[in-house]
Amino acid sequence: MSALTLNQVEVAGRLNPLDLEIPAGQLVGLVGPNGSGKSTLLMASSGLLPASGEVRWQDRPLPGIPLLERGRLAAWVPQEAQFSFGFSVAAVVGQGRFAHGDDEVGVSGALERFDLTLLVDRPVNQLSGGERQRVMLARSLVAAPQIYFWDEPLAALDVRHALQAVELARELTRSGATVFMSLHDLRLAMELDRVVVVEDGDLRADGKPQTVLTNELLKTVFGVRAEKEDGWNLQLT
Amino acid sequence: MNLSDRQKWAMPAALGLLFSGMMGSLMVGDLAMSPAMLWAGLMRTDELATTVLWNIRLPRTVVAMEIGAALAASGVVMQAFFRNHLASPGLLGVSAGGAAGAVIAIGSGWAAWSYFTVPVVAIVGAVGATLAVVVLAKQGASTERLLLAGIALNALLGAVTSYVLSNFTLSYERNAQIIFWLLGGLEDRTWEHVGMASPIVVAALFLWPLGRSMDLLSLGQSEAQSLGVDVKAVRRRMLIWATVMTALATAVAGMVGFVGLVVPHILRLLFGPEHRRLVPVSLIGGAAFVLFCDVIARSAGNIRLGIITALVGGPFFLWMLRRES
Repeated sequence: MSALTLNQVEVAGRLNPLDLEIPAGQLVGLVGPNGSGKSTLLMASSGLLPASGEVRWQDRPLPGIPLLERGRLAAWVPQEAQFSFGFSVAAVVGQGRFAHGDDEVGVSGALERFDLTLLVDRPVNQLSGGERQRVMLARSLVAAPQIYFWDEPLAALDVRHALQAVELARELTRSGATVFMSLHDLRLAMELDRVVVVEDGDLRADGKPQTVLTNELLKTVFGVRAEKEDGWNLQLT
Repeated sequence: MNLSDRQKWAMPAALGLLFSGMMGSLMVGDLAMSPAMLWAGLMRTDELATTVLWNIRLPRTVVAMEIGAALAASGVVMQAFFRNHLASPGLLGVSAGGAAGAVIAIGSGWAAWSYFTVPVVAIVGAVGATLAVVVLAKQGASTERLLLAGIALNALLGAVTSYVLSNFTLSYERNAQIIFWLLGGLEDRTWEHVGMASPIVVAALFLWPLGRSMDLLSLGQSEAQSLGVDVKAVRRRMLIWATVMTALATAVAGMVGFVGLVVPHILRLLFGPEHRRLVPVSLIGGAAFVLFCDVIARSAGNIRLGIITALVGGPFFLWMLRRES
């Protein structure tokens, strides 16, 4: 089954018409230089940004899915969360259950998973950038959706939490969910099932990381040269 | 006391304050009443006490509660709407919109047509001001942007009001009525005013179930929508009820500032930001706050209510700005 289908989806001035299909259970990375349209593509895919063309989740046209049901089907995590009020960490993570009737299922597990147990009572507007990011990821996890749209989930995280987040994404996809996330770390992108490259609002390349992230593409899209060497290979301990 | 212990006391504390505010409001005044006299008045067994209570103090007390509840709840809603704890009906110009409407209605003589003219025109003015703020703040509701939009609107609406005052040939009576609106007060409020402001109770009931959605919304629109909140519908309802409440409060008591800023802020500090608790506690806390300010106003030789709330709220606002930076 297809988890996400985009048919000639376009956001005027930011994203040119593009087609994309992501089957269920895939861990897909979205890469591209700053301002290339990654966030726009993720927001249009999650139905949060008005776009022309057709977006489908699990082969159902998005406009036909009621908002509450969308909250159970997919979760979106913004690049940078802004918290204006001092809700506690536990309260914000618990909001992930809104579409499930606020039943608190999985909240304590998610807090533990993202090392937030000691911070549960802390007001979110007093957290560091990385801690805020973990709160948002935990909130998306408790929503227990079929599709995860994560916008640069790793950007603010330290190396350990970043690797944990990727490992979580692996687990989620193994259990049938789909993860579509943008990232800047191309070495991590090499580990994913698939990589989508956008540049200037266009889909530049799409496929297995090894075939997509070629020296040629790195040079033309990112303006960098890749040198193969046996650098660090970081693993969770 | 930690937060969850304090939260258990939120409702009892607010109700306790409200009750003592009511007692104060009924007993304090030119005719000081003992509890026995108050009882005699309520039971209509003492003629003087009966007249003072039923014709003057009870309507005044009820109007004070209505506008306090309305302004504090509007503050909570606007703060969640703009995701900014400095947003409030006074600072954003919504109260000024309501006042401009009321002043035009009185100055032009429309107010004499019907008992409903002033509140209806006040609502129209407040709605206009709200829409203007929403448009101005559309690009992002940063504190600077919101306050600048508020300054601009307050100035503009103030000009409208001044125009009516200076360029209409007004009778002494109309002029006095307009001054009353601009300074905000509860003198001579009657049961008619209680009735005029009564839709506030209905608006409060409509706001109640929005609490949970407001929690999610106050942390971001897209975030809230992705979790299943019908953002457009909730935001529309928030705006409508907050505006109606502010407009009605302004129509019966004039411009009473800072209630929507001070009350929600203190209650959020004490009992946390969850709107399911904050909305009801603000309704009650706002009512209590205005009652106390009015008791102070009366015992300090009939100072206008708007002056007292400004004297309390102005320094508080400066303190908040300092804390913010």
